[in-house]
Amino acid sequence: METGKSFFDTLEESIIVALLGGMTLLTFANVVARYGFNDNILWALELTVFMFAWMVLLGVSYCVKIGAHLGVDAVTNIVPRPIKKFMALIAVAACIIFTFLLLKGAWDYWANFANLPGTDGRWFPLGFEDKYRGKGWYEVESVVMPEVLQWMADIFNEGERYEKIPRLIPYAVMPLSMALLLFRFIQAAWALWTDKIDSLIVSHEAEDDVEEAGKLVKAAAEKFDREMSK
Amino acid sequence: MTVALLFAMIVTLMMIGVPIAVALGLSSTLFLLFFSDASLASVAQTLFSAFEGHFTLLAIPFFILASSFMSTGGVAKRIIRFSVACVGHFPGGLAIAGVFACMMFAALSGSSPATVVAVGSIVITAMREEGYTKDFAAGVICTAGTLGILIPPSIVMVVYAAATDVSVGRMFLAGVIPGLLAGSMLMTAIYITARVKKLPKGEWKGWAEILSSGREAGWGLFLMVIIMVGIYGIPGVTGAIFTPTEAAAVASVYAFLIASFVYRDMGPLAARDGRGRISLLRKPVAILSAFWHEDTRRTLFDAGKLTITLMFIIANALILKHVLTEQQIPQQIAGSMLNAGFSAVVFLIVVNVILLIGGQFMEPSGLIVIVAPLVFPVAIELGIDPIHLGIIMVVNMEIGMITPPVGLNLFVTSGVAGMPMMRVVRAALPWLGILFIFLIMVTYIPFISTALPNAVMGPELILK
Repeated sequence: METGKSFFDTLEESIIVALLGGMTLLTFANVVARYGFNDNILWALELTVFMFAWMVLLGVSYCVKIGAHLGVDAVTNIVPRPIKKFMALIAVAACIIFTFLLLKGAWDYWANFANLPGTDGRWFPLGFEDKYRGKGWYEVESVVMPEVLQWMADIFNEGERYEKIPRLIPYAVMPLSMALLLFRFIQAAWALWTDKIDSLIVSHEAEDDVEEAGKLVKAAAEKFDREMSK
Repeated sequence: MTVALLFAMIVTLMMIGVPIAVALGLSSTLFLLFFSDASLASVAQTLFSAFEGHFTLLAIPFFILASSFMSTGGVAKRIIRFSVACVGHFPGGLAIAGVFACMMFAALSGSSPATVVAVGSIVITAMREEGYTKDFAAGVICTAGTLGILIPPSIVMVVYAAATDVSVGRMFLAGVIPGLLAGSMLMTAIYITARVKKLPKGEWKGWAEILSSGREAGWGLFLMVIIMVGIYGIPGVTGAIFTPTEAAAVASVYAFLIASFVYRDMGPLAARDGRGRISLLRKPVAILSAFWHEDTRRTLFDAGKLTITLMFIIANALILKHVLTEQQIPQQIAGSMLNAGFSAVVFLIVVNVILLIGGQFMEPSGLIVIVAPLVFPVAIELGIDPIHLGIIMVVNMEIGMITPPVGLNLFVTSGVAGMPMMRVVRAALPWLGILFIFLIMVTYIPFISTALPNAVMGPELILK
């Protein structure tokens, strides 16, 4: 990809691209299979759903990094700069609190599926729970377990082979993505504090294109005016 | 009372610049922690259920992807050429063509700001050169651009269908007549203005130009046919061929093939570095290399980015919906509204006002997820058709986008046309008036929305 992007930028973008491209082709292939070969790829829908979830959840943190999240800038754009910065810092604090809570929630949700303990405490993790029931045996509905992953059976299923992939695999994206998101929000907080960026949000999805289109229209108008005044 | 607090917190957080998604999610999570015994794990589960539990929402990334492939490069240009050939010779022809082009572009893309940017940047310039005032040009395009979310396929409609469990297919069909009606009303108004003000008209270039430009634009417009025929089948010949999600995925693949191999605006065959477009016959390897070409990746990434930001909002709005349902808020609102003796007419006015205010600030999809479950039970009690309610909501969002002070399309147009915000507001005002008349018509004549879906898919079962 373009220069000026770090290894991680390229990596994160490639993950988004691969997942979206993959889910499109998979859904398309399923249609072709149904009409072309009178067959259904049974696991296609469920796998597409998991790819969708992975793309969005992993992508959320990258969108923080590039400042692509949608928000309302009507107020923050008319207040003086110091107040704007103050508001942005409170905003990012709210984001960090939210992500922290979700990270705890995501861990608690996922942990039992991986035979790991969830955390105690309602708001704040106060250590791991002593008693819990592992759910490592719990499989998804239709995605078949690939042979290369069967080693997981020894660890999570007392050696009993998985027929379908265990739920701990697709759900792993929850704690993973929330940890990443927390990290990105903390980075954004630092960037706000040091004035590297001045806002967390954009007001609509076409913001970059607007500027470009505005320049085009302006250039055309100037050219036209020059010709008229000749 | 506590719920009022919840909404106050959401609004406050949004105003200080918290991303919409986080404002919704944080407020709901805190509310759950304070006022119920739900665990954080259940919040995380709700967030994940946006993907796992709502198959309808899976159509969103594919619709976004199809429109991204279709809006790279020259599709807007081809559509504009076609619409100028069709209607350019009427008085006010270029302006009418602009509206017509917005309608067609709207059918390819699901987003209003994107429509304004793509069509506006070309048409506003062309209109100035033909002697229209900049204000007239900007006002027309700003308003016509809002049709993006009304004419199917529309992402906002997919979200409404997911939030209220109605059929996406019905919603899309329901949007067709209102979309055409709104477009015709705008075009008629322009025609009358043009007659009165003696605005310039273009020349009639003949049927040959219509045919040749139509053939060019046709490749893109065929996308609509794939989606509509795919979802509904050909009446009398086949039933539905795809689910809406599959139709969107097939449309994405089609759009990719057209953009890379027919239009060649992107990918390995595109014109660049001063040389023209390459024929596939001269570079057959492109059949494979197009799949991982830089342009393809860029488009996939842009579509992915938009999907991610929208879905994050929707997923968090679902947490809020979870809170509201758990607290039985929709039932309470329904109860108090029915006790107060609200009639359907008054109720719809209330819905209109709520959405017009909300639409000022908020991204339409997120707003729908929040408001739809709140008003849906009341609407059913009052005997309002769910599909009709959906169309009313979409039209309200449209108007919210061009209502001062902070409608989204106003900002976008002001950026594209290089005009101060207040001037765009004044320029769009007369057209806003027309959309208001349209809103009143759509609100009180349910027939406009429900006729087509009922005719094609049969009358609807409403489960209370």
